[in-house]
Amino acid sequence: MAYEFRVLETGFHRAAFNMGLDEALLRSVAEGRSLPTLRFYGWAPPAVSIGYFQGLHEEVDTAACKAAGIDVVRRITGGGAVFHHHEVTYSIVLPLGHPLARANILDSYRLLLGGIIEGLAAMDIHAEFAPINDIVAGGKKISGNAQTRKLGCILQHGTVILDVDVDQMFTVLRVSQEKAKGRLIEDIKSRVTSVKQCLPQSAPMSFEILYATTIQSLREGFAKALHLVFVNSGPTESELQLAGQLGKEKFSSQTWLASR
Amino acid sequence: MKLELIGKPEGCKLLRMTIDIEPPPSPSSRIRSLSIRGDFFAVPEEAFDALERELVGIPLEALGKRFDELIWQKGLECAGITGTALDEIIQKELHNGI
Repeated sequence: MAYEFRVLETGFHRAAFNMGLDEALLRSVAEGRSLPTLRFYGWAPPAVSIGYFQGLHEEVDTAACKAAGIDVVRRITGGGAVFHHHEVTYSIVLPLGHPLARANILDSYRLLLGGIIEGLAAMDIHAEFAPINDIVAGGKKISGNAQTRKLGCILQHGTVILDVDVDQMFTVLRVSQEKAKGRLIEDIKSRVTSVKQCLPQSAPMSFEILYATTIQSLREGFAKALHLVFVNSGPTESELQLAGQLGKEKFSSQTWLASR
Repeated sequence: MKLELIGKPEGCKLLRMTIDIEPPPSPSSRIRSLSIRGDFFAVPEEAFDALERELVGIPLEALGKRFDELIWQKGLECAGITGTALDEIIQKELHNGI
């Protein structure tokens, strides 16, 4: 059995638009106007996203972000703060009634993250699911993910880290005292990896090539793991319009951003 | 009196709570306002917002049990947060002397 999915590569956008488009896709699939959808995208400028339940000023040095020209956005999904820079971000939207939908959060992650794990395998990177919501390679985090269920659909989005600069990351993310006790920045460096670090040293690539290669591998990974048949497409005009509107009115608003 | 609590109980995400309680501080102090934050998951998210509001007025010592009841009543699915974990963080703070 193969499942028809729309696949989108929407390029690099500002944080508010990116989150607006993920929500627009969710609404579009929920209303039956679009096929279940897999999207790949990037962030320009770099951005910090925080989880729905996180306190903005507890997690992010907003002044440092502003000074560095880094966007800050609150997601509609739970999970932790993420510094989006050298990475491929994906989102996947499917109705709760779809055969690939699972009843509980953990089972959903386990199934849908199979696509990422297969995609990394296509790049000769052995990775595995690390509950609740991570993927690790060689015991180090290479992908973080978040999920919600709204309007009768699952939206899951997440990152595949292509290259990582932990020092830069912690110029904008705050480290709680609780975490800092046992997990100093040096310790975190030892717990995070990237596609670049996992690839053979004989295969240096520019970011642009690494980004495109990883997306291609992830497409293959999702197709194999979830038995997907892709329909190449762009977002519809109405999805783009809604994404712009949500980006401006919701995801750029201080009310939303500082809601916790 | 406002309590700022933080902890990462076993099996949970990092959890933060701001709880305003009636003085003097004790396990039976009633909650006047409450905010629970962290990198946990709770679906649907908006139902969690409502749950927080319903924890106002209960004694501090009843928070974990009532949290778990409300999770069930509201049909929330959570990952990385439990009532037991919230109690653990509160008890640690009480043990240390608020």
